[in-house]
Amino acid sequence: MTTRKERFLRAVRSNTQLKVGFAMLLLLILVALLAGVIAPYDPYKLSDDLVTAPSAAHLLGTDHLGRDVFSMLVYGTRISLMIGSISALIAAVIGTLLGGVAGFFGGKVDMIFGGFINIFMMMPTFFLVLIVVALFGSGMVKVMIVIGLTSWVSNAKLMRAQALSLKERTFIKSAESIGESKLRILFFHIIPNGIFPIIASTTMGVATAILTESSLAFLGLGDPNIISWGQIIQNGKSYLLNGWWICLFAGLSIIYTVITFYLLGDGLNKVLSPKLRTS
Amino acid sequence: MKRYIGKRLLTAVLCVLLALLLNFMIIHAAPGDPIRILAGSDHVSPDMVAQLTQKYGLDKPLYVQFLRYVGNLLHGDMGVSIYTNQPVAQEIMEKLGPTLMLCLTSCTIALIIGTLIGIFCARHVGSKLDTFLGSISYFFDSTPSFWLGLMLILVFASWLHLLPTSGMISLRAPATGFGHVLDVLKHLILPGAALSLTLIPYYFRIARTSVIQVGNEDFITTLRAAGMSEQRIYRKYVFRNAILPVVTVFGIQLAYIVSGSAIVEIVFSWPGMGSYMMTAISRRDYPTLMGIYFVISISVAIMMIAVDVVYTYLDPRISRDGAK
Repeated sequence: MTTRKERFLRAVRSNTQLKVGFAMLLLLILVALLAGVIAPYDPYKLSDDLVTAPSAAHLLGTDHLGRDVFSMLVYGTRISLMIGSISALIAAVIGTLLGGVAGFFGGKVDMIFGGFINIFMMMPTFFLVLIVVALFGSGMVKVMIVIGLTSWVSNAKLMRAQALSLKERTFIKSAESIGESKLRILFFHIIPNGIFPIIASTTMGVATAILTESSLAFLGLGDPNIISWGQIIQNGKSYLLNGWWICLFAGLSIIYTVITFYLLGDGLNKVLSPKLRTS
Repeated sequence: MKRYIGKRLLTAVLCVLLALLLNFMIIHAAPGDPIRILAGSDHVSPDMVAQLTQKYGLDKPLYVQFLRYVGNLLHGDMGVSIYTNQPVAQEIMEKLGPTLMLCLTSCTIALIIGTLIGIFCARHVGSKLDTFLGSISYFFDSTPSFWLGLMLILVFASWLHLLPTSGMISLRAPATGFGHVLDVLKHLILPGAALSLTLIPYYFRIARTSVIQVGNEDFITTLRAAGMSEQRIYRKYVFRNAILPVVTVFGIQLAYIVSGSAIVEIVFSWPGMGSYMMTAISRRDYPTLMGIYFVISISVAIMMIAVDVVYTYLDPRISRDGAK
């Protein structure tokens, strides 16, 4: 007889995607934390070495303003991780609340909330993000909020399904019969017990948010005061032929980070899926 | 069935209305006077103010303004572009062709290649090739299409000089007749490849998973036990059942592809909706932006319903009431 925790740990250990993803994430976090130590130059510092090829002095070359590409990429890690995780978190909170309320309360509440979820699912969100950012300006905080506000739908769908099935379970029925309030049941029983698929989907959401942010930055709608990978590519595209290193390495950084979160999300999905946990 | 379609239609109409409402609110919540936003300039002549106030009912309560805005759209009046002074509806129609050409080609290519590789991997689960192709699909799934586009330009246009870097036709030597078709095709290869490569992973994953799933079903085991050959089982039963989710993904992707392809269009200066939209954004051309957004939300809504309806017809197992 093994405990649930042991079973969970064993599932984690036997999941290659999760292990690889975790190792890749560790490297990313280290780079983000130690950016000041790793980066040989100040990423904002301009120099006279304009668009120079990778060399010993500049590991990944310099851009059109003479900034060191490697240092910019290192500092960009912070921005990407921050934008990705905060946007995904906003989406997780909104999705969990809307889906939880819709599924748990059911009836007319579900008709309104569930209907809203279905309607929002059909919205072309990237356009919405583009228009809002174009109109309201492109500060980093605004970008994070807008991405979060437009990417909660899958979370809401998952949480609604979880709440629908959980509310029929005995422990919820007993909580109801001893007179616990509906809100208390929702926040202390339904959401904590149904949160697992949301965790996996939020991890994937980080990847999607990073991609969305880099697309915005590439279109010139990123925060002009920060260095992000998308922005490096946007600036580098005019120097594609003479300075291919600017775009190449920034793109590879995006791919590395997105793969990391996809792997983690896929792995978590397998480890945390209710089917696997009950078997 | 009628009731089901009716319900879906209602959702779609509500969705488009919500999109319009959001549009409307965004314009009104944005910093600055709506008249200046709609006119696209800080120095608006009194005539223009009067005209815009009249047209959008800006002196009336907000809900009247919204109704008028929807009314204008229903008459096909999306306003006039601030920059070009052309009716937005007409401009959108002109840009739709190139976008559809690019999108339909890329989606179809991705559908065929992705599904074939997916089926292949499903029949060889766990083999080295399966793992390898799986990793490649992770890579392209994580690749931003605009970056892939730039890299393709770098290799195939700048270094190898095999293909043109941008546009849809050669401006220097405009060809006619068959030469024109060839010319367009040549320009289509790189943007098409950038878009297809990022779409293939979806089809790959869906096809692989659904073939594996169907292959494990009881009725397949029964057929196997009855001695039917593996090849016949797959050809006659597994593929047919497994193709349904692929069709759905195709439909859903087509619905969203117009916004997905925008960024690739910009990389390759493809003269479609994407480039048009970006120009509108950089010029702060709000009537145009609202028009594009309206057209996109309607087409997404229509495609989603079409997918649902086709799906319910294709797969009788789905009960109309159960389908969510």
